[in-house]
Amino acid sequence: MTIRTEWVVLDTNVWIFGLRRQPEYPACVKLLSSLNRLWVKVPRQILRELQANLSDEEMHELFRLLSRYSERVDTQWDKADPLLVKKYQRLGCRPGDAVIAAHLEALEVKTIVSENRHFLSEVQELPFRVLSSSEALSELMS
Amino acid sequence: MLAQIDELAERIVSLDSSEQEILLNRVAELNFQRGLKALSDKYRARLAQEGKLDQKADEVLAELRRIREDIAASDYQN
Repeated sequence: MTIRTEWVVLDTNVWIFGLRRQPEYPACVKLLSSLNRLWVKVPRQILRELQANLSDEEMHELFRLLSRYSERVDTQWDKADPLLVKKYQRLGCRPGDAVIAAHLEALEVKTIVSENRHFLSEVQELPFRVLSSSEALSELMS
Repeated sequence: MLAQIDELAERIVSLDSSEQEILLNRVAELNFQRGLKALSDKYRARLAQEGKLDQKADEVLAELRRIREDIAASDYQN
């Protein structure tokens, strides 16, 4: 399994830290700069979280940029399957994290890149793995 | 300027097709990097205006967690 050839989801914190150029997370900046080498799905929950952080104009600009790699960056506005959301809630996820997990399972994405160290750590045998942006960057460059 | 562009175009068409492809991909990449930097600059300027640019990562993460739960609650009320 490698993110060089497989779809990934970048958690909202990776997008936001990358755009903020958050000093504690330089790998997020590098990862966003490497979008032309990644295969990225952007599910509805992430899109809505980005909308909540960016102005309409900034969001429009982001979409314009992503459209340059339309074969590699796939935005999905469909809601997650409520049954899958419930499944992950039953496994112990908070509702928001359960939605993300449900999106990943439905999209058959096997990797999420997140700077939330505890993201879904309470759930056993997830059908996907969680990488930090620096781990993702190392895998991309290897 | 037009003459310079014509000259540049002549030089590009003199390359073989694989070199042209590499060049065009590189131009696309540089354009993307430039656009990303411009968006980041704009976003950072707004955050600075709002007094949020110097927020610590943990504070940003906490706010993102709150937003995540708010959106999930509104999208999946039942």
